[in-house]
Amino acid sequence: MSRNLSCSQIVAEAIGIEMERDERIVVLGEDVGAIGGVFGATRDLQRRFGDKRVRDMPISEMAFTGMGVGLAMAGYRPIVEVMFADFIGACLEQVYNAMAKIPFMSGGTMRMPMVLKTAGGCIGSAAQHSQCLWGLFAHLPGMKVVTPGSPYDYKGLMASALEGEDPVVYIEHQSQMSKKAATFRHGAEVPAERYTVPIGKAAVARQGRDLTLVTLSACVEQSLEAAETLFSEHIDVEVVDLRTVVPMDIETVAGSVARTQRLLVVDEDYLSFGVSGEVVARVVELLGTTAVKQVGRHGNPDVPVPAAKTLEDAVLPRAGSIANAVRRMAAAS
Amino acid sequence: MSNRPLIEHFQAMVRMRLFDEICMEGFRSREIHGELHTGIGQEAIAAGLAAALASVDALVSTHRNHMHALAKGVDPRALMAEIFEKETGLCRGRGGHMHPFDRKTNFSATGIVGSSLPVALGYAYAFWIEEQPNVGVAVTGDGGTNTGAFHECMNIAGAWKLPFVVVVENNAYAISVPIASVLATPTIAERAAAYGAWGRKVDGRDVEAVADAFAEAMGHARSGKGPAILEATCQRFQGHYEGDHDTYRTREEKKRMRAEDDPIALARGKLLASGEATEPELDAIVGESRQRYGAMLAAVRADPSPPAKEFRRFLFVA
Ligand SMILES: Cc1ncc(C[n+]2csc(CCOP(=O)(O)OP(=O)(O)O)c2C)c(N)n1
Repeated sequence: MSRNLSCSQIVAEAIGIEMERDERIVVLGEDVGAIGGVFGATRDLQRRFGDKRVRDMPISEMAFTGMGVGLAMAGYRPIVEVMFADFIGACLEQVYNAMAKIPFMSGGTMRMPMVLKTAGGCIGSAAQHSQCLWGLFAHLPGMKVVTPGSPYDYKGLMASALEGEDPVVYIEHQSQMSKKAATFRHGAEVPAERYTVPIGKAAVARQGRDLTLVTLSACVEQSLEAAETLFSEHIDVEVVDLRTVVPMDIETVAGSVARTQRLLVVDEDYLSFGVSGEVVARVVELLGTTAVKQVGRHGNPDVPVPAAKTLEDAVLPRAGSIANAVRRMAAAS
Repeated sequence: MSNRPLIEHFQAMVRMRLFDEICMEGFRSREIHGELHTGIGQEAIAAGLAAALASVDALVSTHRNHMHALAKGVDPRALMAEIFEKETGLCRGRGGHMHPFDRKTNFSATGIVGSSLPVALGYAYAFWIEEQPNVGVAVTGDGGTNTGAFHECMNIAGAWKLPFVVVVENNAYAISVPIASVLATPTIAERAAAYGAWGRKVDGRDVEAVADAFAEAMGHARSGKGPAILEATCQRFQGHYEGDHDTYRTREEKKRMRAEDDPIALARGKLLASGEATEPELDAIVGESRQRYGAMLAAVRADPSPPAKEFRRFLFVA
């Protein structure tokens, strides 16, 4: 019997289990307490663990992100929630100069077991509320970056993030927060008990022979949907869910590409200077230029997400556009 | 003292409310497909700003910006079209409800809380170096005053006596967080002392009180005496955004604010009591505004959406 929880319930469940296990875990963020998060991903935690461990913050991201750093150095395991990834601009200083660098700068004497939890991706609210930004976090050294795209991973990656010693950026996709587990094509079963999903291990979400489609976050579901359509057109796509951007499990990706010889990276984040280019470069480095017959990328073509739906649909990868990207590659092969 | 007759404020507030009610309709129909924040219940603050704002003054608003745009003189038709994501909109459907920009009236907004202040301060600095008697006005919610940007901007403006006015719409909550639970002082206005600024807290349900206080704040800034903080208290009648479950406020609290804190009803009461207007006259204003905006909505609905192939347009000038 599958429990049909929403992804936000699953995240809250994961955090609750970890907070019971480890009383050094505290949660700081806007609206995380009394209402349990704007997406409900910290629901009931304040009621269960009190308002010292789960604290509603003023709109002072710089302060409370830095507090996370200080709390971690004082021996705690803070989860700092920055409501939308877009708001990272208000506190990036504490994230990339402190959280990310202190373990290294301190010669390993300082630990930073902090989880920066945020929601990325688009649900229609235009340029300042729709960004993914995992490529940005990944570019800055010192942070693990996890991007769950299935109910199973929302829970398991949170558990791993909270038991590890390293700073982790945990990026939920806004569009999945109220989505029920049973509606997912992949990773829909979520055990009630605790489990972990290792950080740095990709998953083959669908096996296929003709092309390796590497993707992450909500684009995993979109790609699986596209793959179903394409299968009826006799194109058999293998879908690899990166799950974590840093560290990147390029071996799993390369293993698949070695068989299919065709690689398409689908990423909702900005196309240039980001995850998609990185995947392609690493695959080529690993396999050499002759092992890969075709390479493609499909992502946001480097434009701020527009307000109008017509334009939004034109810039974001969705099942239909993903299928078209594969068809274009198939036609050219 | 502002000398705009109350009946004019009344009309402005009625229009603001009807405008936002039309936006709510667009949200329900999914014509507006992202978040929507309305200012219903807060009309007296925006309307109270209008009289003392010259078109050359700059106003930078927030995620809850429609009423401020109307107060600044932004064309309602173009604003509505923008909110409805149309090619005929103020920003050709690129910005949407949270991001309207209007060069003509020096109006802009941001969806990032606290970020209205630095931009308004930039305008203030420009006016200062040009020795223009204009003011850079930032609107923020109460929540926005807890950002680092608030302190940084107030300090700079205070240090150099820049023509900078911050209007704080204190509706008691930042989403679900009661502002009183995260403030070090009873009021926000009293922070003014720390920056050598003018500061005052007013009843933001009372459009005339807002208009008077804002006129004074603007006069202070215009005359080279430095920045001002005007805190206006109010209630937000709707959820933080449309679709907000709004479980952090009790049913009674919400009922009471609609009954007691409605700035339009308060103005109506005053107008009738003083004999400045009769019921039928006020109803006629409402009816006329409803017709006007209803027709506007019908026209906006017929407007085209931005063509999908032009998604890259406006990214760079050249
Ligand atoms: C930097 C930043 N943090 C958080 C948010 C999310 N958010 C949007 S509005 C809001 C509350 C704002 O409260 P307030 O400033 O009082 O304005 P109100 O909504 O009450 O008008 C929050 C937390 C944001 N947009 N930007």
